[in-house]
Amino acid sequence: MRAQFFQFTQRWKSTAKEAMDHTILFAKFLCLLHVTNNYLCSPTLVYGPSMLPTLNLTGDVLLVEKMSHLLGMVGPGDVVLVRSPENPRKTITKRIVGMEGDKVTFLVDPNHSDRSHSLVVPKGHVWIQGDNIYASKDSRHLGPIPYGLILGKVFCRVWPPEGFGLLEQ
Amino acid sequence: MHIRGEGEGEGEGEGEMQTLRQLTPYVKEALQQTLRVTKFFCFLHVTNTYICTFAWGMGPSMLPTINLYGNLLLAERISTRLGKVGPGDVVLVRSPENPRQIVTKRVKGGEGDSVTYLVNPKNSDEEKTVIVPKGHVWIEGDNKYNTKDSRKFGPIPYALLQGRVFCVLWPPEDFKSIGKDIQ
Repeated sequence: MRAQFFQFTQRWKSTAKEAMDHTILFAKFLCLLHVTNNYLCSPTLVYGPSMLPTLNLTGDVLLVEKMSHLLGMVGPGDVVLVRSPENPRKTITKRIVGMEGDKVTFLVDPNHSDRSHSLVVPKGHVWIQGDNIYASKDSRHLGPIPYGLILGKVFCRVWPPEGFGLLEQ
Repeated sequence: MHIRGEGEGEGEGEGEMQTLRQLTPYVKEALQQTLRVTKFFCFLHVTNTYICTFAWGMGPSMLPTINLYGNLLLAERISTRLGKVGPGDVVLVRSPENPRQIVTKRVKGGEGDSVTYLVNPKNSDEEKTVIVPKGHVWIEGDNKYNTKDSRKFGPIPYALLQGRVFCVLWPPEDFKSIGKDIQ
């Protein structure tokens, strides 16, 4: 009776140890995945009409590299991923039109009038606009975006396969 | 002219092979240790980013809560991620003026709150009331006479919050936990 109980605990110990080893290996893999995703490069699904014709309406998978914005190497013309100032859980994809100190001129409401407005981008901020200015909620509505909200620079599209490749400027 | 004989050529090759074989266990050991150190740093980094982190706060803007000459603060990252940061919390914020700088301030109002503040407390009693827009928070330093905060650069987007400070660790005479009131 005692011997059976002992055998049972031995087997349980080895199973528990194996489960522990697998869990640790999985945790290590997740750590590595997290570091790569946040500091090197990560794929992102984006959708919406605001970046037509550069990006599709129904969704594209883009590769976003996360090093340029930390090194200060993003500039006008780059398509970037930005955390929305209105909803901290949402990320939006737009193109940088002006950096701090630049003077930007933009059409306030191109659907209804030709009125344009100019301003200077304040320190520590960037001005972003969607390529499709008729259907884009960007800096024209949200104001200049603090540089600290930039998450990464888009450099390539991987899905759909017809659109595979670097994005146009 | 010295013609290299077969025996000599092989001898030299053998010597190199032997050195390589002798080095292999050391190289392997070095690689293993490097891997271990890398894994440890990954783990440390993930803890720093998702659970809790240290911060050094200094400057006059948060007196008397935080010292002029510097305090070691402990900040946790879970509340900001879950959206549970509210009025009264001391938070680490990425400065909207300089994206590489992190400042410490107290949250005075969340989105939708109506915040009343003294525009220029050194010179006048003039007050202004503002409603914090969606997705933003209003931050102010505890020392209202000498602080650069939302009264100057407006409400800041919630996503710029980096963590909630909950205790002061160093120097030991300042050891205390930071709550929702100004101490």
